[in-house]
Amino acid sequence: MIILKFEKKLLPFILPILLIVVWYIITSGLNLVPYYILPSPVDVFGAGANLVMNGKLLDNTINTLIKVFLGIILASVVAIPLGILLGWYESLDKLSSLIISILRPIPPIAWIPFSILWFGIGLSSAVFVIFVGCVFSVLVYTIDGVKRTDKVLIEAASTLGANNWDILTKVVLPSSLPYIVSGLKVGVSIALMCTVSAEMIVSSKGLGYMILTASTLFDPGTMVVGMIIIGIIGILFDLGFRKAQDKIFW
Amino acid sequence: MVIDIKNISKSFATKDKEFTALEDINLSIGEGELICLLGPSGCGKTTLLRLIGGLEKADSGEIYDRGELVTGPSKERGFIFQQYSLFPWLNVLDNVMFGLNLSGDKSKEENLAAAERYLERVGLAEFKYNYPHELSGGMKQRVAIIRSLLNHTPVLLMDEPFSAVDMLNRHNLQEQLIEVWKRFNSTIVFVTHDVDEAVYLADKIVVMDKKPGRIKEIVSVDLPHPRQRESKEFLNFQDQIEKLLGVWEI
Repeated sequence: MIILKFEKKLLPFILPILLIVVWYIITSGLNLVPYYILPSPVDVFGAGANLVMNGKLLDNTINTLIKVFLGIILASVVAIPLGILLGWYESLDKLSSLIISILRPIPPIAWIPFSILWFGIGLSSAVFVIFVGCVFSVLVYTIDGVKRTDKVLIEAASTLGANNWDILTKVVLPSSLPYIVSGLKVGVSIALMCTVSAEMIVSSKGLGYMILTASTLFDPGTMVVGMIIIGIIGILFDLGFRKAQDKIFW
Repeated sequence: MVIDIKNISKSFATKDKEFTALEDINLSIGEGELICLLGPSGCGKTTLLRLIGGLEKADSGEIYDRGELVTGPSKERGFIFQQYSLFPWLNVLDNVMFGLNLSGDKSKEENLAAAERYLERVGLAEFKYNYPHELSGGMKQRVAIIRSLLNHTPVLLMDEPFSAVDMLNRHNLQEQLIEVWKRFNSTIVFVTHDVDEAVYLADKIVVMDKKPGRIKEIVSVDLPHPRQRESKEFLNFQDQIEKLLGVWEI
């Protein structure tokens, strides 16, 4: 049983390890692919060690994370209260549904030209793109959560003396929290994608910028390091949200 | 009289036709009375209860609660729903204090002490930190009743609260309800389709008929509590009610 459990825990790691082995064989091992097409794991490791030593990796990672957080926080501050209002008042929902449906499918990247016009190159420009990227998913999930609030809970609260404000804050909000967290989870993954794309165009810092600069400098090792770090950040966010969901899903 | 129902009519519109749920209902309920509304499904008993609770608006007629016109839900009329209505994100203690914490009349400590005292009385003290999903159906309904009683609700409106509970537990809950009713001197309007339940609980049974929903007859059950289900008088009342209800009831 113990061995079986161990095997199950190991299972997800088999493919990545296999991938690295194959990758090593076709690059360093057999020299089938030249360095500038695909660097070997050894090159990547070397580039990574170098980036850690000179502090660039930490700098750029922190910079990217700050943008992601700012974007998400801004999106939450706008989308959660707005979502509660739109979900609660049917007429407001009807009023806004068309405009949301039109704006939502526009890729956040398409906002980059405007973000440059409005904010120039830099932090605020990238944060704006991230904001646009995740605001709609948080909004749509919040609206959905509010609408799904069990009617009997609202009626129970009203027969216990709750006024409209009490019902919104003490019944509707907690009841839609699981949906809001799901929205944030989706939002963060979109935000991460937007961040890297935005950094490649409107920023002079961050992992996306690091990857793009490395490509112009013929440094594919650094490019791969950047990509792997982005993947790891994604996993960590996902784990964090899963933990949060475990706590609030009753 | 505590509750005065005057010429109440209510109809619902479905897709292609309108059906009359209640037609010209008149009923007075005295202080401290335990009234059962009994009838087949579709007789409008739940609708009548919801109208008294202010959860529904009548097409015509008025309902007065101690002389005041009922215009909406209020903590003056506690409502126990057929579906479970505890807030899933709050534990038992916070659930029963929901109404108290809204009013803010008393300090948090006083509310807590009162809540613990009430839970103790119905044998739920050891579950005070449990969440609703950890409770059985019968326990959930007991918590819901305590939640309303703690609010110093003089009138309790109960909509088939024990219908989802198995028979043995149902008999237990009915016994407890009689105790609670006597101790708090509440006025209770209890909706049921179970003749046995009505005869066991009620001072007066309001037998209703359908198409359109109206009052067929009011039967006073002048048996002392606790009532003996096997006694001749009990069975006689059961017979009498069943005859009134006609063919649809077993």
